[in-house]
Amino acid sequence: MTKKRMTFLKELLPFIGLGGRLRLEWISSAEAQKFVKVVTEFTEQIRNLGPNPLAKTYGDSLDSLDLAPAPSEATGSGCGCGCSKAAAGA
Amino acid sequence: MKDKVRDWLETGKVDLFLGYKQVDGHPLPHAFSKENLAELGELIVSPARYALEKLATEILAIKPALKIGILGRDCNQRAVNVLTVHQQISPGQIQILEVNCCPSPLRKHAACSTLQPQTYGAVKLELGVDNNMSVAQMDQFDQESLYSRWMYEFQKCLKCYGCRDICPVCFCKECSLENNDLVATGGLPPEVPLFHLIRAVHMAGRCVDCGLCEEACPVDIPLRLLYRKVNGIVKDLFGYETGGSHEQPPFSLLGESTPPEAEPHSKAV
Repeated sequence: MTKKRMTFLKELLPFIGLGGRLRLEWISSAEAQKFVKVVTEFTEQIRNLGPNPLAKTYGDSLDSLDLAPAPSEATGSGCGCGCSKAAAGA
Repeated sequence: MKDKVRDWLETGKVDLFLGYKQVDGHPLPHAFSKENLAELGELIVSPARYALEKLATEILAIKPALKIGILGRDCNQRAVNVLTVHQQISPGQIQILEVNCCPSPLRKHAACSTLQPQTYGAVKLELGVDNNMSVAQMDQFDQESLYSRWMYEFQKCLKCYGCRDICPVCFCKECSLENNDLVATGGLPPEVPLFHLIRAVHMAGRCVDCGLCEEACPVDIPLRLLYRKVNGIVKDLFGYETGGSHEQPPFSLLGESTPPEAEPHSKAV
């Protein structure tokens, strides 16, 4: 099910201009090297894409309007995909 | 048409017939029944449409023994199929009296309820998304442009829930859009683009492309286009034709119908 949903979402996100920021991998706790490899790769990919446009465009405007903070406040890693793994590794 | 409805009601093929009646110049949904056959004279067919199958489903939830006929077009038929697949109604509970999709010589240019596609202002065309565009045309834009165009559209949202309320296949008792943990409350626009993406994802394998959401939208967000893309993906990846299939959609089933290329590991059998 996860595979199906993620494959679907991977196709959908580029349609609204957020492509390349989503990745799904299965990594066992015994696969440290794979974890490092995946996180390094993905961090590099995200860095090349630049900061998350959501945080830039709507994080600021929402703040100035004194509304609830945008979900993508975390600008640092620029990973707008909710993928905590990559954010932690970045 | 009226004779047929009369026949259906008299023979007991249906207990209730949902159609439209002209009230003060407005075509409004109306339930015709055996007791009020005289009213049938007021039954009208016009380009106006409403998700009658949604009303029928709500009635059937309370009185499952009823058989309901509705005046419908292709989109209503697809919606009934989806509602059956999702087990909201049983096969045969809703009978559709089909009318022409668009009774007009302008058919080629017709966009459902309106005879001509709507035209939009220069600002929307420049910054946003033209609702008449196709998925293929959208793919011509680069990522940055797509992003800013969709955000321009999404941030207009008034969170009126019109798209959800009119949607013939939105039947959930608890709606994710009203879940405070998923969508923050107390501000407008609703969390961009989360609100619309949640709805879009839920339309996968459900949306019947009736376009009522877009017609209901007070700020002209091109929802139909977004959901067309969503179901285009479902068709490409899983070969599932929403509204035309009697099988369960891919997101209702575990395992099977997973696209082979999505397998991260090839499982040894």
